[in-house]
Amino acid sequence: MSSASDAFLSLDWGRLAPVLIVLGAAVAGVLVEAFVPRKARRPVQIILSLLAVVAAGLVTLMMALDPDKRAVPISLSSAQSLTLDPMAMYLQLAVCASALLGLLVIADRTVQGDDAFTPQAASVPGSEYEDQARRAGLVQTDVYPLVLFATGGMLLFPAARDLLTMFVALEVLSLPLYLLSGLARHRRLLSQEASLKYFLLGATASAFFLFGCAWVYGATGQLTLTGIGLQTGQHLGMDPILLVGVILICVGLLFKVGAVPFHSWTPDVYQGAPTPITGFMAACTKIAAFGALLRVLYSMVPTLEWDITPALWTVAILTMVVGTVVGVVQKDIKRMLAYSAIAHAGFILTGVVTFTSEGLTGSLFYLFTYGLATVGGFGVIALIREVDAEGHMRGEATSLDQWRGLGRRSPVLASVFAIFLLTFAGIPLTSGFVGKFAVFAAAFGEGAWALGLVGLACSAVAAFFYFRVIVVMFFAGEPAEPARGGLGVGVRTQGLTQVAITVALIATLVLGIVPGWFLDFTGDLSLLVVP
Amino acid sequence: MNDVAILAASVNASMTTAEQFLFWIVAPIVVLAAGALLISKRAVVTACSVMVTMVGLAFLYVGLDAPFLGVVQVVVYTGAIMMLFVFVLMLVGVDISDSFVETIRGQRWIGVMLGAGLLAVLVAAALRATLPTFKGPDNFNLNLLDRYEAGWSEASAAYQTVSEYSNPTGVATILFRDYPFTLVVTGCLLIIAAMGAVVLTHRDRLTKSIRQGDLAALRIKHGVQVTPPPSPGVYARHNAADVPAVDPDGRIIETSVASVLRMRGQMARLTGVAQDLLPGDVPPAHRAIGAPELPEVPDGAPAAGDGSEPDSPPPAEPEGGEAK
Amino acid sequence: MSVTAYLVLACVLFAIGGTTVLVRRNSIVVFMGIELMLNAANLAFLAFSRMWGTLDGQLAAFFVMVVAAAEVVVGLAIIVSLFRTRRTVSVDDESLLRH
Repeated sequence: MSSASDAFLSLDWGRLAPVLIVLGAAVAGVLVEAFVPRKARRPVQIILSLLAVVAAGLVTLMMALDPDKRAVPISLSSAQSLTLDPMAMYLQLAVCASALLGLLVIADRTVQGDDAFTPQAASVPGSEYEDQARRAGLVQTDVYPLVLFATGGMLLFPAARDLLTMFVALEVLSLPLYLLSGLARHRRLLSQEASLKYFLLGATASAFFLFGCAWVYGATGQLTLTGIGLQTGQHLGMDPILLVGVILICVGLLFKVGAVPFHSWTPDVYQGAPTPITGFMAACTKIAAFGALLRVLYSMVPTLEWDITPALWTVAILTMVVGTVVGVVQKDIKRMLAYSAIAHAGFILTGVVTFTSEGLTGSLFYLFTYGLATVGGFGVIALIREVDAEGHMRGEATSLDQWRGLGRRSPVLASVFAIFLLTFAGIPLTSGFVGKFAVFAAAFGEGAWALGLVGLACSAVAAFFYFRVIVVMFFAGEPAEPARGGLGVGVRTQGLTQVAITVALIATLVLGIVPGWFLDFTGDLSLLVVP
Repeated sequence: MNDVAILAASVNASMTTAEQFLFWIVAPIVVLAAGALLISKRAVVTACSVMVTMVGLAFLYVGLDAPFLGVVQVVVYTGAIMMLFVFVLMLVGVDISDSFVETIRGQRWIGVMLGAGLLAVLVAAALRATLPTFKGPDNFNLNLLDRYEAGWSEASAAYQTVSEYSNPTGVATILFRDYPFTLVVTGCLLIIAAMGAVVLTHRDRLTKSIRQGDLAALRIKHGVQVTPPPSPGVYARHNAADVPAVDPDGRIIETSVASVLRMRGQMARLTGVAQDLLPGDVPPAHRAIGAPELPEVPDGAPAAGDGSEPDSPPPAEPEGGEAK
Repeated sequence: MSVTAYLVLACVLFAIGGTTVLVRRNSIVVFMGIELMLNAANLAFLAFSRMWGTLDGQLAAFFVMVVAAAEVVVGLAIIVSLFRTRRTVSVDDESLLRH
């Protein structure tokens, strides 16, 4: 038993390094905001953020490849708040990869120097001061430390060892996202509204999560996940308490994942937030939240006296159905992708709730590839802008009407987006197909016919609305009336978004064409969790 | 395992009478205040009722053998968080009240039913479980983690003896021994909060700020009065803001009263204020040295606020020209 | 019996907070409901902490208080920023986002 003074010395700094690098860079970013002169702030912040995420990813990769580290996931010191088993490291790598691509999209700006964020967040939209700020060329560089803080929380969330660290990590990853959602450059009213809605609903979900932690603590006397797992097998007469606690925790986590009936924030926030932030948020939050959900489900649920898997199946089915059905009628491309994100959450949930290692394999694979494809997809959306009469670039052209004939105007962007849509639809030769196949195969193999059939049906229906976008882009004729806001045009930027999109595209195609090695890898990981 | 049986059967004190007394007095107050939060229409009433709830909970925390947390509850929650709420309420309007018009029909009743349903489920689970009774106040020990690492059965024997730590020391020990990294991350959370507040509310200055030197230069350039106008009121008689100052010749200095009051017609009449200062009654000794003889002026002071220009005063007076 | 009393009180407070979030239209009052829910969780943590005789629950309540303070700062900043734009704090007037 180490005394308090030894605690800091006994911390395994190696394991903590990725999280510390990212959080430390975030704090350094705050200092940069304070001390670096305005002209130099943006380049310094961008370089700092990119280096931090790359370094964190490399350190995690090194630890993952080191056999000693993999063998001992939990350090012997009781002060260690992280459980870095291979699955946690995989999820952290996925978060780092998606965060890196997301940061590239966030850091990009048009050749005129407009980035995606409002020049001064404290200005009232439409006021004289806001115009002055825009003409003065102010840039809100506080965005980068906030993104790094969110990434730090996302690295910590799936690797937390106890419920308390998980709660703190949940807040650390959520608060910057609430703030960032309100910082859009164009359509600021929508953005601020999205920020408030995200905040109120997210805080409520955190409160549910916390209440569940209290009940689980009450039933087991433990806050660590392993301790809880050991205790759930005991019948203490307190099982109702444990059951309620687990359900409340799942409510909080399902909100973060975007599952029905806690999905109402997703379309509004995805639509209102600045597009680069939407891409970052969609990918990384889902990875982190599913990681935490996996931990909770696999440590607490199997040994419960009551079987809550039917409830979880219902949630998965509803999520897939609602995401698909409501997504079909959407006319705005960001909202459409938001509902598709809900449907994908349902698919990933299908793999998780089968409680088999095959399902888990499929879900882990799906998470990684979906994250990269999402960042790529939203990166493309960030590049399609409205142009006003004088040729100035305005906001993103998000209405589906404005995407008509994009194949002629910006063939490269349209083709890339088409490939991302095919991934979302699950067409063979894309990574989306492999992920879906793995998940549904696991569902059928486990005998979860309802899950599998609903999943296939929803995939078919969803494919319809993805194909509709492809048709509109490439094969649509002239519409009856011109689109409001004019047709969308691909805008020229400084190139970072294109880099991110290219990487995402390559990953999507490679993992779609030769997925075997990656599937084996995630299979090994899942066997460690679900023997 | 039989350790749980040990836990359940261990010697402890059930709720003492004093504690029951505290609970059954404070708990209804807390629930009523929370109900006021739900029901009252005025935002300030809700803020005050939430404060009552927080303080009541602090009482309960102290009763639950967590005096450190009771104090922290008052200091942080009531003292800092609720004060922030009250400040924001002051900013947005103290007397705002909710409109209870529903955008979705029946939303209020659906909300109430969902809340009642949640309450029913939670209370049912709470009542259905059999919970061991409380430990006595001296039985706090360090966390169960030690027991797992030391081997459960040995530790549980030591567990039932007197606690090793008093309340703040015990909490501090666990905090810095078992959760130091979580504390570091919580620090980051506070940084995020501070940054967020600055991002959303700080405005950079974009236009050049006009300082005193610039103002004085502008005034001289346009030939307006450079010095401040004289203060209102009459020395040793009245210093009210609506009483005009009187120059040595007995005339009212209009610019000494704020223009808002002048425009509203609220400048005080000198006749009611200082009878002996009416023009013509100024003793010769009080006149400025070198001042010319006064012309005849009619009885009564000028009417308030009629904007009559004061005569151009003698050059000895410092207040030259018209004030802006 | 006594733990149950505190637990039921925590449930009641949580449910009242939850209902406030669902029913009330003023975003500041909704946020106060969320704070009430967090306090209910704190009460549950402390009651269970005393039941088990360990200080973990008290530590959890401590962390919750710190986190709640940070959340309040961010939340009120967002509400104030929205108020500057719209001159209202009603949740209803947020109707630009419609399905």
